[in-house]
Formats: sequence, C-alpha cells, structure tokens
Amino acid sequence: MSSQPLPRKPTIWETLTNEKNFKWTLLIPLLLLLAIFMLYPLLYSFYFSFHDWGMQGAPTFSGLNNFRQLVNDRGFLLAFGRTLEVLVICIAVEILLGLALAMMWNREFPGQNVVRGLALLPLLVAPLILSLLWNFMMDFDFGMFNQILQAVGLRKVYWWAPKMALYTICAITIWQWLPFSVFVLLAGLKGLPKDVFEAAKVDGARGWYTFRRLTLPMLTPLIMIIIVLRSMWLIRLFDPLFGTTRGGVNTELLDWITYRTAFVMFDIGYGSAMAIVSWAFTMILCMLMFRQLMKALKPKE
Amino acid sequence: MIKKILFWLVTLLVLFIVIVPLLWIYLTAFKSQTDIFSTNLRSMVIFKPTLQNFRALFGDYPFWPNLLNTAIVSVLGTVVTMAVSLLAAYSFARWNTGGGDLLFMTVSTRMFPMAVAAIPHFIFFKILGLLDTHFGLMLLYVFFNMSFATFLLYGFFNEVPKEVEQAAMIDGYGRMEIFRKIVFPLIKPGLAVTSVFCLIWMWNEFFFAFLFTRSQARTVNVLISSFWGGLQVQYGLMAGGAAITIMPTLLAAWFMQRYIIRGLTFGAVKG
Repeated sequence: MSSQPLPRKPTIWETLTNEKNFKWTLLIPLLLLLAIFMLYPLLYSFYFSFHDWGMQGAPTFSGLNNFRQLVNDRGFLLAFGRTLEVLVICIAVEILLGLALAMMWNREFPGQNVVRGLALLPLLVAPLILSLLWNFMMDFDFGMFNQILQAVGLRKVYWWAPKMALYTICAITIWQWLPFSVFVLLAGLKGLPKDVFEAAKVDGARGWYTFRRLTLPMLTPLIMIIIVLRSMWLIRLFDPLFGTTRGGVNTELLDWITYRTAFVMFDIGYGSAMAIVSWAFTMILCMLMFRQLMKALKPKE
Repeated sequence: MIKKILFWLVTLLVLFIVIVPLLWIYLTAFKSQTDIFSTNLRSMVIFKPTLQNFRALFGDYPFWPNLLNTAIVSVLGTVVTMAVSLLAAYSFARWNTGGGDLLFMTVSTRMFPMAVAAIPHFIFFKILGLLDTHFGLMLLYVFFNMSFATFLLYGFFNEVPKEVEQAAMIDGYGRMEIFRKIVFPLIKPGLAVTSVFCLIWMWNEFFFAFLFTRSQARTVNVLISSFWGGLQVQYGLMAGGAAITIMPTLLAAWFMQRYIIRGLTFGAVKG
C-alpha cells in the first residue's frame, strides 16, 4: 500500500463505497423503506393499543384495558385457535404432498415442461379471483361440484356449512400453495450432489433407506424454509375469505377479525391491540424457526 | 410398468385438479347469464358461446384503463423492488450485515397484520396526497415485496463462491466493478425468477389496491371484486375480467417453471 503524498478529503461517493461502509451503503434504500413502512405503523399501533379511539375525537388513554378485554374475548380466541388449525393442516399437507410430488417428478419424462408449467399455475393466479371462483363453483345449488356429485348419484355437499367451511378454506389454500412446496423441493432435489447417491447405490442402499438417511437430511433446511415462509403467510391469511365466507360460518381467522375490528367497526384501539398481539405471536414463532434455519444454513458455508 | 401407469395416473389427476377451476373461468366467461345459473349438467360444457360479457366489460366498465393501472404499478414496482433488494441481498449475503437479525427484520415485514398497518399508511398517504395514485400504491407494493425478494436473492448470492470475488479483487477490481461485472451476470437467472415472482404478486394484489385506490389508479382486481355486489353476483363479468387478467400469469408459469427448478433453493442445498 503506497500512501498518497497529499491526503485529500474523500468525496461522498468514496466514503460510501469504501471497504468499511460499502455494506451499509447497499442497505440504505431498504432501511429507509423499513423505517417508513414498518417502524411507523408499528409504533402507531403500539400507541393506540393503549388507547380508546373510534377515529373521531381525541384518543383516551386506557392503559391495559384493550389487552385485558382481548384475553377474555371469545371471538378473538376462537379466531386464534382456527388460525393455528389452518396453519397445522395446510403446512402438514403441503410438505407431505409436496415432497411426494417432487420426488415423483424429479426425473426426465415426456412432456415434463408442460406438466410442470401447468402444475405451477395455481401459485400464480390472483387469490382474490380464485376465492370468488371457488365460492361460485362450490355453491350449494348451481355450483359445479355439487352438480357433478348429483349427476354421479351422490349427495350434494354443503361446502360452506359451519362445520365444513374452515376445511374448505384449507383445501383452497392448499390448492393454491402446494406448487410452492413442490417446486422448491424439486429445485432442492435437482441441486443435491449426485456422487453421494451413486455411492449409496453401489453400497446397495435401498430406496427407503437412501431417502431417510440421505435425501431427507439434505432437504431439511429447505423444508424449514418452507415452514417459516408458509407460517408467516398463513397467519396472515385473508384473501381466500374475502370472496367466500367473509369471516362467517366459523371461519373468522386472525387477520379477518382484526380487519373487522379496525376497519369495519372503526375500533382502532382494540384493533391495534389485536394486531400487536398477533404480530408478537408471529414474530416469536418465526424467530425461533429462523434461528434454527440460520444454524442449518451456516455450516455449509 | 405398473410404476409407470401409476406415475401417469397421479400426474394426470393432479393436472386435472389444477386445470378444472381455471378452465371454469374461461367457460363461464363465454356463457350467458341463463347458462351460468343453469342446473342442467349438459349445459355446463355445451352451451351457445356469447361475447356479451366481454362487450359489457369493455363498453360499460373501465376495464382497459384499470388493467393498464395494474400493469403500470406492477412493472414499476418490480423494477424498484429489484433495485432495493438486489443491493440489500448482496450486502446480507457477502458481509452478513447485521448478523442475521437485520435479515430477519426484513423478512418479518410480512408478519404485521395488513389491515392494521393500512390505517397509519392511509393517514400518512392522505397528508402527502398519495391516495389513489400509481406512485403511492407502487410504494406499498415495493415495501411488501422487498422482504421476499431480498430473501430469495440472498439465497442466490450465497451460491456465488466468495473466491471468485476475491480473485477479482486481487486483479484490482473495485467493489462496484466486481458487483457489476462479476456477481451480477452470475445471478441473472435468480434475478429473473425473483422479478417474475414480484411482478405476479403485484399484479395479483388486492387488499391494498382495494383500500388505497378509488378511480384514477384503481386496479383491475378491484374492478373484478366490484362485480361481487350485495344483491347479486355478476359471475359472467367476473369470469370475463378474470379470463383476461390471468393471461399474463399463464405465460409467466410457462417461463418460470424451468428457472425455478433449476435455481430456487434459497442457497440451502449445496451440491
């Protein structure tokens, strides 16, 4: 390193792109957006969760009242429970079916691009359009499903019955999101090192054994990523309800009750408290998983 | 042999389940109101096709302007998101900036209930005059998509070996040059997948468009949802609108499937 004979003041651009600062410079736009769009609503909701406010007049401080009310709110607790139910059902089905289909399609076969292209479709169609469509197809009288059932001689199913509707919501969510698991796992399978599997084959390892001892451990970080991302998105499930039950017939989920409280009933204080609680729950859940994920990703560096 | 039959049986079953709802959109789009509500099984597929739904869409409703709004917002939004996320993801992947916590923060932006986040945004936008503007909606979309985009790109950057960059550094390249000339070309496929994901999700977004746009910047999904009226649902118009709106999506699916299975591993699988 030869030093400059005359040290001059570095320009702003040089300061921003020197070894020490460059990594932070790259983050400036992201951090700016985070501050405006994340920190601000968060602080705002935090503030109002301790107040009573109906969008008119001045907010009055109410201490922990909103949270106290929340703990005893049957509707909220039910929504919370339902959200967890949807979370478990959808993730379990998506991972298991996704793994099965990915294993199945992880080979060369005629028409593979067509098959895969079509299989990806549900993921890309607007959830709102789909929810309107499912509502139409699953109508009791003139819906396509029931007409076919009737034609085959079976009983019509009341898809949106109070006992059934939540599972119908699960089904349409899985229909839309299964391709995500399938394709991520398919990409993972394609990326696995081939030599290890050939060695296992030479050693006479059977299919199931290879799957359990080689494939599954190597896919674990990927499965964890799917679980983290899907949990995050499923807790915030909203669109499938919009065109179908609108939170009725025992399908009110966490985000819908929050939306209803804050946006339809204009109870900003109570809605904010709901938001804070469900946000904290999501954060803690995902943070635990994310830690594990980062650990799983690290040693391979 | 049995294995092969089973393979195709399952594959065809899956495809059938995938295609039927989408086919239903296109069938309904060409049906008249009477055919739509007919309970005769035969008329489900055999009916007299009509263009009346499309004619109404183009004539009586601002379908094209709204579709254009969707296109403007999602294309611009994708460009901006990619610019923001590309830089950030590079920083996270190369220097582990913030020790994983900052990356988690970024990913966690999707964890706050949108319905409540929308209220402060609404007030904020009202003050700045951003309600019902393309720019305002675009900003929101950038924010909501940058978390996933950054996380995806982070995975792609992780797959670029550090040694390549170190070698370039020894050759006297500057930071910017390394990024532009060496790293960027290597993650182009990742860039393609990520931008199409953003594009599609912005194209499909409904909730914020529904709350933040009224007429000037109203997106096509908001128009479609308006056919779901209180008294009656205009399924024909809804299906007609959906049939056109999802077309770019169908094209994207064809394009994406190759890229996804070749690269979407979040950097979690190392060969």
